[in-house]
Amino acid sequence: MTTADIGTPAARAFRRERRGVVPEWLAPWLFLAPAMFIFGVVLVYPMLYSIWLSLFQWDGVSPVKTWVGIGNYVELFTANRVFWIALKNSIFWSSLSLIVPTSIGLALALVLNRAFRGSAFFRSVFYFPAILSMSIVGLIWGWVYHPNLGLLNQMLASVGLSAWEQSWLSDPKISLIAVFVAGTWHNAGLPMLLFLAGLQTVPKEALEAARIDGANALQSFWYVTFPLLRETTMIVVAITAINSLKVYDIIYVMTYGGPANRTQVLGTWMYFLTYNHNEVGLGTAIAVILFMLTLIFAVPYTRYMVRSR
Amino acid sequence: MSAVLTSTASVPIATRLPRLRIGGALFYLVLSVAALVWFSPLFVLVFTALKSAQDFGQNGAFSLPTAIEWGNFAKAWKIGIETYFINSTLLTLLKVPTGVFICSLAAFALAKMRPRGGETVFTIFVLGLVVPIQMTLVPLTILYQELDLIDSLPGLFFLYLGFGLPLGILVLRGFFRSIPNELIEAAVIDGASWWDIYWRIMMPLARPAVVSLLILDGISTWNEFILAQIFIRTQQNRTLPLGVVQFSTEYSTAYELLAAGQLITILPLAVLYLLFQRHFVHGMAGAVK
Repeated sequence: MTTADIGTPAARAFRRERRGVVPEWLAPWLFLAPAMFIFGVVLVYPMLYSIWLSLFQWDGVSPVKTWVGIGNYVELFTANRVFWIALKNSIFWSSLSLIVPTSIGLALALVLNRAFRGSAFFRSVFYFPAILSMSIVGLIWGWVYHPNLGLLNQMLASVGLSAWEQSWLSDPKISLIAVFVAGTWHNAGLPMLLFLAGLQTVPKEALEAARIDGANALQSFWYVTFPLLRETTMIVVAITAINSLKVYDIIYVMTYGGPANRTQVLGTWMYFLTYNHNEVGLGTAIAVILFMLTLIFAVPYTRYMVRSR
Repeated sequence: MSAVLTSTASVPIATRLPRLRIGGALFYLVLSVAALVWFSPLFVLVFTALKSAQDFGQNGAFSLPTAIEWGNFAKAWKIGIETYFINSTLLTLLKVPTGVFICSLAAFALAKMRPRGGETVFTIFVLGLVVPIQMTLVPLTILYQELDLIDSLPGLFFLYLGFGLPLGILVLRGFFRSIPNELIEAAVIDGASWWDIYWRIMMPLARPAVVSLLILDGISTWNEFILAQIFIRTQQNRTLPLGVVQFSTEYSTAYELLAAGQLITILPLAVLYLLFQRHFVHGMAGAVK
């Protein structure tokens, strides 16, 4: 960064002379004030208050909050069976998210990065679900999975695989996977876009050289393209991890955490505990735990964003 | 070995072409089938929305409509979607420009005025990008109860402003920093104030970034679900995503109306996407990298 900017003493003095209504040091803070005020009210203050609330037992209504220290956290880990299901499901969902939608995105990017007639069209087609809201994606796929009328079971029946028909969302063994597939439809788009952008930076000469040296497609991908996509991959991994830990809408819409709480994740269980069971202390404790989990990925990512800009 | 390969690399364009053509046809075939499968949930949605209830009962969701039934849209519109659509449209049209304006002020200060402590402020803003929304829900509920902003669209507007800030500031700060400082120095010598510099020089130059951001922010505002779900209580104040979800519990067997409602929600996005695709893709890629 060339800090030979407008901050040169001469320029500062000059401007002070000319105006002087607003002191020089104050000006930037006036520009920042609206954003900082709103951000403080909507994000910073609530976050700190949530941490504080997680140390109390409270039903959200009564004027009395009982101090329990880390009691809520202890209770979650020792006595709240659904919390464990939600924690396991969240980790399962995020781990799978790091592999499946990202790989699909990478594969699509590699195929669609080539210049061929219609490549822009195909990119639009595969990216489109990514601009839909997760709640609408949930509704559309709820429909795909409908036991009698749904696309999936009808397709299976029409190719003679009636035996494979399932009630996809009400069978606890497969419901989370079924929701995950729906999520992947939406979540593959962003990695695809990022990998496409990353592929622009892979020099053609490098690939040409690999080809001349006798590398087949797989080898040139593994030894040339993929190492050059390292930075993109890291960004994709960070964003995917953070977003997948936050998953909420699609589960709320498709299964409502059921059957029998088997598809709860941290995000939904926080909501149900707080707003349906009036366990505000436990709910905010889950929110804090969820936040800690995202920080594992968020801290390096945030550092990178702040430094590289 | 390399000798052999070098020779193949230099000669064979002519000999390779035919193979490429067969490969090409196969390539298109595979890709088209994949695209069809990828889009099949949406096809079914469109078919369902265009079918009469009777046609649906006889032939299921999977078949083409026997006759196109536009009435579904009118019916869905009348029994609620209209209200949700108006709410969402108003909210998006008011929130997005306001939010982008506030972001641009902050981003300009952080990129070009560079106050002491600005890096810390920026880091906190960026952290907002990763915070799970659940971290804020309970205190916001308490605050909104006190301020009597539960079930109010202006209340929701304010929340949307806040949660849109991190991405907007990130995108615009990055763009502002790419504008050379010499421009500013020249303006300062000419006696321009910071406001002049921001409004007359930076904003016109930042137009592409601003357009991308308007679109990105428009889409996420249009799509937002969880805040609306928690803070909106009555039917008249529902936004589209919330309304359509509630709609599907209220009319759970009127499949053709549900599909029509969902399609109405998607349609503006699809139009926007087709019109501004280039901006959109660039903005998205630029935002997170």
